[in-house]
Amino acid sequence: MLPKYTLPALAALGFAFGVFSVIRGNQPIPIAQPVAEPANSPFPSFIAGAGIVEAKSQNISVGTPLSGIIQQVTVKVGDKIKAGDILFRIDDREALAELGVRKANLAKAKAAVGEAEASVNDTRNMLELIEAVTDRRAISKEDLDRRRNAHTIAKARLESARAQVLQNEAELAATQTTLDRLVVHAPVAGEVLQVNIRPGEFAPASAGNTPLMVLGNLDQLHIRVDIDENDAWRFRKEGRAVAYLRGNRNFKTDLKLVWVEPYVIPKRSLTGDSTERVDTRVLQALYSFDRASMPAYVGQQMDVFIEAPDASATLPSMPKPGTAETRS
Amino acid sequence: MNHIALKMLMGDRGKYLGIIMGLTFASLIMTQQPAIFVGLMSRSFSFISDLGLPDIWVMDPKVQFIDDVKPLQDTKLYRVRGVAGVKWAMPLYKGLLKARMADGTFQTCNVIGLDDATLIGGPPVMLEGKLEDLRRSDGVIVDIDGAIDKLAKPSKIKGGKPEPLKIGDTLELNDKRAIVVGIAKTTKTFQSQPVIYTTYSRAVRFAPRERKMLSFVLVKAMPGENIPLLTRRITESTGLAAYTQQEFKDLTWGYFMKNTGIPINFGISVTLGFIVGAAIAGQTFYNFTLENLRQFGVLKAMGTSNWTLLRMILLQAILVGLIGYGLGVGLTALFGYAMRNTIMAFKFPWQLLVFSGFGVTLICVFAALISIRKVIKLEPAIVFKG
Repeated sequence: MLPKYTLPALAALGFAFGVFSVIRGNQPIPIAQPVAEPANSPFPSFIAGAGIVEAKSQNISVGTPLSGIIQQVTVKVGDKIKAGDILFRIDDREALAELGVRKANLAKAKAAVGEAEASVNDTRNMLELIEAVTDRRAISKEDLDRRRNAHTIAKARLESARAQVLQNEAELAATQTTLDRLVVHAPVAGEVLQVNIRPGEFAPASAGNTPLMVLGNLDQLHIRVDIDENDAWRFRKEGRAVAYLRGNRNFKTDLKLVWVEPYVIPKRSLTGDSTERVDTRVLQALYSFDRASMPAYVGQQMDVFIEAPDASATLPSMPKPGTAETRS
Repeated sequence: MNHIALKMLMGDRGKYLGIIMGLTFASLIMTQQPAIFVGLMSRSFSFISDLGLPDIWVMDPKVQFIDDVKPLQDTKLYRVRGVAGVKWAMPLYKGLLKARMADGTFQTCNVIGLDDATLIGGPPVMLEGKLEDLRRSDGVIVDIDGAIDKLAKPSKIKGGKPEPLKIGDTLELNDKRAIVVGIAKTTKTFQSQPVIYTTYSRAVRFAPRERKMLSFVLVKAMPGENIPLLTRRITESTGLAAYTQQEFKDLTWGYFMKNTGIPINFGISVTLGFIVGAAIAGQTFYNFTLENLRQFGVLKAMGTSNWTLLRMILLQAILVGLIGYGLGVGLTALFGYAMRNTIMAFKFPWQLLVFSGFGVTLICVFAALISIRKVIKLEPAIVFKG
């Protein structure tokens, strides 16, 4: 019933199956490859930091001197602008109405000047007439005094009327200034990076979270690099630096130091919680790069590597903090 | 002589089968139980093995095992990146978040946040969709086990089978919308929670607000870099703990060995299997030798040397040992094969083959020794008695 070789054969088969499942069950897990190769530092010893691209002029958040409803936005995002170009206008009807009133007042004041001049002429004539009489006995002293006083008063009235004209002119100029302030001009030449206002919206004359409009000079871009305060001592101004575009490390550019912010600021955190405590402070260094070397946009993040001495290196000659180059 | 030994062994079918059954049983228990144990324990660090790309894991020095996440400040990433010898360093978010299902129930999920630009640390095998799809807005990748089971949508028909999660379905993670853009295959983890992969910044958005979010920093060493030295350098210059992949696995494994009852439970089963197998096989083998004592006596009386008799018994022991071992291993492999698609943890490394082989050898040596003692002490005259 049980051939001699059944059990040994079964055993051999079982062992073979065991070995097979050992091999099959222990194949190495495939390694997920990165979608984009990460950037590597070209330096043996370096500081790594997160950089953000900004315009050379820094990004200018345009504000308005007077609050009001937006009447007209004269630029679009991406427009090239010259210094002094009109960016947007705020509702000016109230100021225009006031301007009319002021103008009328000025006209009225000017008319009053003519009236006063006529009155001066009249009183002068009357005075001259009586002064021309040589025989003093023919005129009474009272009459002479009256005519003299009348002339003096008329002259004073003329002065007052002229002063009134000046005042009205000044008032008109003030209204004109208000009117001018309702039109916001570009402070520098550059490009419109962001427009957050549309006609009909209220533009507050205070520093809000969202700027009304962001301008920047894109002729040259800067990279603002955050360096952890713990690594700040290793930072050297003469160290070479490179930046890599996120997502494609083939875009690489050499950086030139422009200036170092002398004040170490709290790092802006991603969670955006207002009650957040400050974790770390960061030293910010600004670098410039050739815009043609990579398709970078303002506000984009970059991986930056700055050549620096090794952390374990002996104390180097102390760089003097606070002597950072001032802004060019 | 060998022929006689084999004839002797197989002549008594009942005893022959009895010995082999005992050994098979011992071998089965000594292979299958440790296989389950190894399978279960390797799940504790399966996430680390799945993530094969980085050489070094950097974390808070107080982290005890992979799920014991103690987040770091975001700037630590750049400090690690600045250590000499580091090729790249990437952030990884790992956390447990509640997913709200279509029917209103909640399921805790393991959410993994990968570096936004490179997506390093992704799942090893993508079944549907591509890893790049994570770049789409609100995109997440769900593991297949979670998609089929725990995160499955309830059936439209009452009492029907739940529908698995597909590409394009939406999930709600912490009140925020997430869209499934891919299905991945991952190795099961110890807690068997569904795994959800997404980008780091999205994971941070899904997660409840915390001051620190960065769970791990994954580091790749420069080619030719001495990795243990690099881990020490990272620890020195950043004050964080840095482990190689193997060290982190050992740390996690060690935590589970020390803090759970699993090793004791399985140790007891294996020991019991060994004792019962040894008892059955040893006792049956001894009985079988006793029964054949007459034949041994005759051989001895005919002038066969003790050495030859010893060889005969050893041959018998080796044969039953081999058969029992082979059958036991085969049955274990069959068990593993049958259970391959279930939740059961089963892992069969080659070390287990050696381990059970050693166990069976011990039993056979023990059984042969007591029999040999009897045969060598045997007086040939006994054959002619009674």
